[in-house]
Amino acid sequence: MSELGRVKQWNTFARCWHLFDATWQNPLECAPTIEKYLKGFHKPIYHPFVDCGDHVVVMNSKQIAFPGEEWRRRVYFHHTGYSRGASWTPAWILHDRDPTMIFKKAVYHHMKGNLFRRVVMERLHIFSDSNVPEEIMENITNQIRPLRPRPKPLESYSKKEIEEFPKIIDYPNDYVLSKN
Amino acid sequence: MFKIPLVNSLWMASRMSLKLFTPSSCFHATASTQLKEIRTNKVGNTLIIEGINVPSPRENYLIPNDGKSCPLARLNLNVKHTDVLILSQFVRPDGCMLPQRITGLSKIKQKKITKLVSMAHKAGLMCSLAPENSKKDPTRRKHWKKYNTYFDESTIKVFDSRVAQMKTNMLQDYIELKKQEKKLFV
Repeated sequence: MSELGRVKQWNTFARCWHLFDATWQNPLECAPTIEKYLKGFHKPIYHPFVDCGDHVVVMNSKQIAFPGEEWRRRVYFHHTGYSRGASWTPAWILHDRDPTMIFKKAVYHHMKGNLFRRVVMERLHIFSDSNVPEEIMENITNQIRPLRPRPKPLESYSKKEIEEFPKIIDYPNDYVLSKN
Repeated sequence: MFKIPLVNSLWMASRMSLKLFTPSSCFHATASTQLKEIRTNKVGNTLIIEGINVPSPRENYLIPNDGKSCPLARLNLNVKHTDVLILSQFVRPDGCMLPQRITGLSKIKQKKITKLVSMAHKAGLMCSLAPENSKKDPTRRKHWKKYNTYFDESTIKVFDSRVAQMKTNMLQDYIELKKQEKKLFV
């Protein structure tokens, strides 16, 4: 067996740990990719009855992004079981209370509902910021690629970079420059 | 401050003729773009406010344009709301959009860029271009506005006016007719 093949075999039969940075990522878009690693779809030995999934550590879940008016429009339903016990919570209020909850619910609801789902969810570790405990950080061997690019704000560019960027328009004749 | 150079004999001329003799672009010795900057100096008890001609800071980095067509349409760019280096060119230092007569864009592009600028502001990507004590910085906002949002550019729907579209269609038809006539005669 070649060296690469040996390492591949170790990776399939061991429980690997993957890191995912959730800044500016849509949790609803991320759910399928994270499910892939949690259940072990990426492994050649995958079978629903084989418990071959990996661990996924999600950090910066407070920095997730939603498109347009989704923070206001998206609503999470809960029912206590008693009469008049229904409640609808907008996504931004739920995110205020617990910044890990939206990501957890997105992954949980994307998976097919069976008895195996709760077991798989135990392997998902979500942290609201980048302070991940060291005993978890030392296990990590792989980083999952972000799905959407992180937009760069104007402050991140230096003054020279902004000045020397090719300009499309110039000010017209006798335009009075205003200072901020 | 801004003195209009006029010959003494023209002082009593009518308004129409005065318009004709205002300084035109053909008398410029230096570059044609002359920006003005208002400066205030306080010397003792007197406050001096003066407008000074300043060379344009964009002069060396400007993409050459013929000045007739829309500068953005010629470049054929797919501008997105995250391209803050492009969008910040169409904006005043306080974050407001410049009007069409200053940007020189076509009507459609102007509308599109205004929407893109508002999207960039809502996403908190241009919070340095804002007046003091503004809430453009997402960390100073309330409720759902403090969280990261991104936008889909395909939701921007800008249409040309129907009259303008009819005009262009008629022109195209006329040109095609003329071409066919030429072919027939040749």
